[in-house]
Amino acid sequence: MDDQNLIRRAQGGDSTSFAELLDLHYDTIYRFAWKWCGHQANAEDIAQLACMKLANSLSQYRFQAAFTSWLYRLVISCAQDWQRSQQRHDHDELPDEEAMVDSPRHEDGIYLAQVLSQLSKLGEGMKETALLVHAEGMSHAEAGAVLGVSESTISWRVHTIRKHMGRPEARASLAYE
Amino acid sequence: MNDKSFEAKLARVSAPAPDPAARLRAKRAALEEFARVQAASQASGASANEKTSDEGSKGLWDALRLFRDDSSHGSTSMAWFVRRNLFAGVAGACVVGLGIAMVWPVFRNYGDPRLFEDLQPPPVTVELKPQAKPPTPELPKPVPQMSAQQATPAESAPTRRDADATRRESDAAAAGLKKDERQRIEMEVRANAQAEAHAQQREAELNDVLATGTREKLQASMKASGQAGVIDSITAEDIGQLPEPNQAESLQRVPLGAVITAGAATPTPAPPPPPAQQGNEELEEAIVTGSRAVRGGAAPHKGVAAPTGSGSGRLFRKKEVASNAVTMPESSLAIVVQPATMSEPSTPAPEEGRDKFEQFQVNSFKQVAEAPVSTFSADVDTASYSFVRRQLNSGRLPQKDSVRVEEMINYFDYAWPAATSAKAPFKPTVVVSDSPWDKGRKLVHIGIKGYEISRDQTPDANLVLLLDVSGSMDSPDKLPLAVQSMELLLSSLKPTDTVGIVVYAGAAGTVLEPTPVANKQKIISALRDLSPGGSTAGAEGIERAYQLAEAHFRKGGVNRILLATDGDFNVGIDSTNELKGFVERKREKGIFLSVLGFGQGNYRDELAQALAQNGNGVAAYIDTLGEAQKVLVQEAGASLFTIAKDVKLQVEFNPATVAEYRLVGYETRALKREDFNNDAVDAGDVGSGHTVTAIYEITPVGSATRSVDPSRYAKDAKDSRESKPTGSANEYGFLKIRYKLPDSNTSDLIEQPILVAPREVPANVQRDVQFSTAVASFGQMLRGGTFTGALTYDEIVKQAQASKGDDPFGYRTEFVQLVRKAKVAREM
Repeated sequence: MDDQNLIRRAQGGDSTSFAELLDLHYDTIYRFAWKWCGHQANAEDIAQLACMKLANSLSQYRFQAAFTSWLYRLVISCAQDWQRSQQRHDHDELPDEEAMVDSPRHEDGIYLAQVLSQLSKLGEGMKETALLVHAEGMSHAEAGAVLGVSESTISWRVHTIRKHMGRPEARASLAYE
Repeated sequence: MNDKSFEAKLARVSAPAPDPAARLRAKRAALEEFARVQAASQASGASANEKTSDEGSKGLWDALRLFRDDSSHGSTSMAWFVRRNLFAGVAGACVVGLGIAMVWPVFRNYGDPRLFEDLQPPPVTVELKPQAKPPTPELPKPVPQMSAQQATPAESAPTRRDADATRRESDAAAAGLKKDERQRIEMEVRANAQAEAHAQQREAELNDVLATGTREKLQASMKASGQAGVIDSITAEDIGQLPEPNQAESLQRVPLGAVITAGAATPTPAPPPPPAQQGNEELEEAIVTGSRAVRGGAAPHKGVAAPTGSGSGRLFRKKEVASNAVTMPESSLAIVVQPATMSEPSTPAPEEGRDKFEQFQVNSFKQVAEAPVSTFSADVDTASYSFVRRQLNSGRLPQKDSVRVEEMINYFDYAWPAATSAKAPFKPTVVVSDSPWDKGRKLVHIGIKGYEISRDQTPDANLVLLLDVSGSMDSPDKLPLAVQSMELLLSSLKPTDTVGIVVYAGAAGTVLEPTPVANKQKIISALRDLSPGGSTAGAEGIERAYQLAEAHFRKGGVNRILLATDGDFNVGIDSTNELKGFVERKREKGIFLSVLGFGQGNYRDELAQALAQNGNGVAAYIDTLGEAQKVLVQEAGASLFTIAKDVKLQVEFNPATVAEYRLVGYETRALKREDFNNDAVDAGDVGSGHTVTAIYEITPVGSATRSVDPSRYAKDAKDSRESKPTGSANEYGFLKIRYKLPDSNTSDLIEQPILVAPREVPANVQRDVQFSTAVASFGQMLRGGTFTGALTYDEIVKQAQASKGDDPFGYRTEFVQLVRKAKVAREM
């Protein structure tokens, strides 16, 4: 029994297969959502949206790309939707409270929040690129497949990000290719 | 950002484990959505049927058309337009036809001479009606047809448009970017409503836990840190939320020289402890520091320097302070940090894991002249890898003894050619390549892949799940994960297989008599009813499980006990040897035992290993549901169905070509040379489709890199032996594998020479040789890297990336991440 069969059966309308699929991939979805926003409750929201979206659009998965790539793309689009909706709602709520609860009390979170906000300033797709390549360990080609851009675009983005993060290239000996 | 390596940090960032409640919530929401989508798609499926019938009538329509209109194959709107014109034309024709039909008799009659003869019109009309009839049926005939056709497309066209619209909507939902605003709002509202409903439900379930407490704490700590002399304040709840593996590390973030005092922070009633999470243990520990400080007579008020330095350097263990932990909610402690008035730094050292591992020495180079034969038992366990992964994911390098290189190598499935029949269940693959650790050396990969029993050939299974439900299993990564894992396992069993459940805690008990998997719901509900509590009578539980398995013994089938435990056996026979003997005796009767390890902090790996080895089973360590999926579903065959018992490997090296050799890993699996042919000696077992890989690093004769200088005096003797035709110069050595078929007690032998000349190797095998080498490098470096030379983690990453292959389940990608994490953990 593998993912493919599971997906096929879920596409055929078998809800136990779909539940199993969710069980298998919820962790991935949640963890990526967490990295995307750096906040537990928000990550849970995004993950839930992503699961619902998965229910909606599983039938459109055509087995052309790896399922995980497809899933990442789905989570990213959910996360972006979610953020847009947050921006709209933020004005209605108490901003202080939100900021306070959001302020991560730990180094990882603070660091992640800083990096994420810097990255999103760099331009569209930069944050996602950095997360996929650095935090998820994908190759440029894989990240390209997820984001629907070419491998060279990813390479360029990674380069730009590295440049903007203001560090010498010396220690960039990590194998990114 | 002036950080040196933000990539490395980013790679290190690991998300906390998801909250099971949130997981459940998301799952429910998604399942509802799924049901809704399915219902909708069935409805649209019906409309699709309509569409096809419409397609049929369209064909008829085409056939009836007066001329063939190619433009209708252009756009649909064009086709529609053309068709509408035709409708108009045809309708017009119909009207005209009808008119003619009505007037026709009059014309006919007009020409009738009798009309002029007889001037009485009424009888004429009566007389003429039958005459007029024949033409009328002819003409109106096409009319109903036409109108029918007219009606069909006219009705179905909107339906089609509806279908189009729904399709477009769902497209928009998929693309996510170009989305319908309204739809999205609806979705949000839905999600919010559901989240609320589930939150309420959860509140009811958990006796009202939740976020207000944290927020209040934050306010309190902000207030506290606003006070003079206080730099920062961390409340107990905060620590519970911290991602650090323990509170000691959290406290290390506090500036050096600061003094930590404990004090009652808020007058507000403290919330009950947060829902069981990974932070639980740490939380309790944090409290202990505080309450001990209080007990120790330190002034329990913030702002007062307290002589806690000596006390807080050490931490009590969870169990020892259980009673303190219980009182915590009332005391609501906060740790307040203030500038140092004492020079004594009070950063407690991180807790040493209490997980127990067998200690062993790494294999080193052996002289072929002295010990030309290397013998070891196959090992298909993977527990070590999962354990290492868990440690690295929490930002620590694993204990050296927890790293067994062969288990790390064998965690991955390699593309070694599989055997084709169950009679000869192995086909060894031998590949010689250059060593990445030392230029002058070579690597010899020995890979075997067990015969894979196809799913419909698998024998019936009689499984007894033996679950530890003692109090120590009360953690999301223990019993709940074990239960979920078992549910996964059910999906990989046949309906005729039976599953029984025995639990043990203070007392052992049978929860479920062996039940066929066809009755899955019963098994699942029995599993879900389990809750942890009490002490651990492991031995008694094992006895009960064996009784149950014996009572339902299946001849010719698989009789296996699956023990899920955190390794804590503290009641009953707890002597490892006694247990081992017991398991061994039962093995003779045909009941095997596999061990699934859970949890951390108290894990007794060496016991799990010993039991599984003596029970002809695998020992796996399950840290995530993904790992459960790997062990119990993808590799269910390998974990459950043994294809060969007591698999032993022996390599005799050729002194003419090999100066020295070293077996990578398998330290705990070494056998004596004479054990190889002794069928009474137990060894590892290989399951359906398992791959076993062993790597030797050899120094060819004549290579400049020798770890040991050649013996001055033995040289002559060696030369004389070389002159004898012991082995031809084109072989590095000779591989022998002994195994027993599952129902046999005598062993069979497979032999194969290891050739010097490189052989043509398929690309995927070559790739997997590379990848397994990368894993071996990593394992050895975690053990101290005595033999890996100047190899760095970066090079391992590079090598693993290059040889990742398809990686359908992402295990290899995960490996790359682990290497990066190890790099970061080491730098810290």
